[in-house]
Amino acid sequence: MNKLIITVLGKDRPGIIAQVTTDLFDLECNLENVNQMILQNQFAGFFIVEAPKGLSPESVQADLTKRNNGNGLTIHVQTLDTVTQVAGQTPGADIFLITTIGPDQKGLVSRFSSIIASFNANIVNLKAVFKGGSDPNANIMSYQVAVTQEVDAPALFAALREKAEELALDIRIQHRNIFAAINKI
Amino acid sequence: MFEDHEIMSTIEMVKNENLDVRAVTLGISLFDCISHDLLVFKKNIRKKILSHASELVETCDRVGEKYGIQVVNKRISISPIALVGACFSADQMVEIAHELNDIAKTVNIDFIGGFSALVEKGMAKGDKALIEAIPRALTETQRVCASVNVATTKAGINMDAVLEMSKAIKKAAAMTADDDGLACAKLCVFANIPQDMPFMAGAYLGVGQADAVINVGVSGPGVVKRAIERNMEGQRLTLGKIAEIIKRTACKVTRVGELIGREVADELGIKFGVVDLSLAPTPTVGDSIGEIFQALGLSHIGVPGSTAALAMLNDAVKKGGAFASSHVGGLSGAFIPVSEDLNIAEAAHKGYLTIEKLEAMTCVCSVGLDMVPVPGDITVQSLAGIIADEMAIGMINAKTTATRIIPVPGKKAGDKVHFGGLLGAARIMDVPHAHLEDEFVTFGGRIPAPIHSLKN
Repeated sequence: MNKLIITVLGKDRPGIIAQVTTDLFDLECNLENVNQMILQNQFAGFFIVEAPKGLSPESVQADLTKRNNGNGLTIHVQTLDTVTQVAGQTPGADIFLITTIGPDQKGLVSRFSSIIASFNANIVNLKAVFKGGSDPNANIMSYQVAVTQEVDAPALFAALREKAEELALDIRIQHRNIFAAINKI
Repeated sequence: MFEDHEIMSTIEMVKNENLDVRAVTLGISLFDCISHDLLVFKKNIRKKILSHASELVETCDRVGEKYGIQVVNKRISISPIALVGACFSADQMVEIAHELNDIAKTVNIDFIGGFSALVEKGMAKGDKALIEAIPRALTETQRVCASVNVATTKAGINMDAVLEMSKAIKKAAAMTADDDGLACAKLCVFANIPQDMPFMAGAYLGVGQADAVINVGVSGPGVVKRAIERNMEGQRLTLGKIAEIIKRTACKVTRVGELIGREVADELGIKFGVVDLSLAPTPTVGDSIGEIFQALGLSHIGVPGSTAALAMLNDAVKKGGAFASSHVGGLSGAFIPVSEDLNIAEAAHKGYLTIEKLEAMTCVCSVGLDMVPVPGDITVQSLAGIIADEMAIGMINAKTTATRIIPVPGKKAGDKVHFGGLLGAARIMDVPHAHLEDEFVTFGGRIPAPIHSLKN
């Protein structure tokens, strides 16, 4: 097993995924997972591949960087650790959606994610949009947090609610199944 | 993974559109509690109810908190007392009501339903005792609800029972005159009563049900109204499209109820019964059926077009609910309780909604003349006539209808009454010809069951 994870960052434009995956194909790497997102005008892509035996992450990084020289992409390659279990990702964890709505302030994500981390709960998805202004719906954080049986959920939720109150934010903490029930048929 | 708009619309439904689970009702069979000894019977029912319900409120609150959806009312429905307590006298029935009231307090629920009798074809000893006991039972207790089924499509209308119930309502009102006849707000007269309804005052556990069962009543008129308004912004929709929007919204709301109901049932180790998706209003702005009519372009509920609008609303709600859950039961439709809905109460006060129009509208919706305050001096005969009319609508159309009429002692049309809490407030509706003492309802006997062919 020689699994590599390749991260690609750069200004978004048509053709980034085509270019990177063609390069990986040329290197005889087999794609296992791809995910991408666009934040404002920036592209971020994640590629997990099974690479041929003996192909080092350094040589892949050097090759990809050379092939993409001058097109503004930052490429990083490293070996994927598939052995260590990530805390909070144990099967059977309950996923809660924690959404805050309210005025933008510096350090919001830091404050809330630190509380979540201090309870050893794992954030499995985070979306935050801060457009400023007075429209409450323009300033939203939405965390999906895996809450395992080891996590003291009532204490975590109480701490988050307390912080939200302190910062004058409206906070909602709801199990993901309610969103699934309403939105997914 | 959820889209931003999915997360926001869900939060919006709870936060601003008053989506909640209106009632989780735990049905408990009392047939294994039967005894000819009143003390033993009371002891048995206490033991049985507590064994199932002691964790009900706590569990509902915990599950509600988990999903961010409030379970507003936790309630219990029981086997009809007229059946399980058939050997007792009226005085003993009142004692049973006191016991039920105490049990309700012990488990911290607001209502217990099932002080009930099923008399569509005739009254047995227990039924007579229960009906005789109703005025005292509802006056002396706060949390007991009573219902009497006097008609079905297959049996016809028991007119003796209709007259008895009219007398019982008048008596119950007189006994609670200081509270505007409040006892009558806890008393429903039914045609085709559902066995699994979670909503009060008519909830009871039918004889064909499990030993214990969780039935869930979901509401959400505010959600439906906002869905219509949102989709109408900047465009005109045909009524077919609007019906589709109502249907989809009802589907979402029903799924919330089923999710929560099943989890409560699982945690309590009790079978899950049905979701009753009924658009049930509260006296809060934004949680009103009347406001849906306004979203549909009618100036007030009760004006011409209201019956058609209600028919469309009721049907769309049923279709959405039936798609969302395989176990939809109870009433599942739209309620139009006058005092419990600020907007309907106002339409009645301003003269847009009359009692005749209200009766017409009950032909196409759930329930019937619900929470209607009428002048206290209405005669027994006129009140019985109104009940009989409403029962006939249910009987002929093979649907549930009910009356929850409050003849408010000492007050006349236009006077204000206040029942408090979810029961709300309203002005007394004018009832034309309320003073007549016509003989029709006093002839007694049964109006025969209708023919099921030759329908026109």
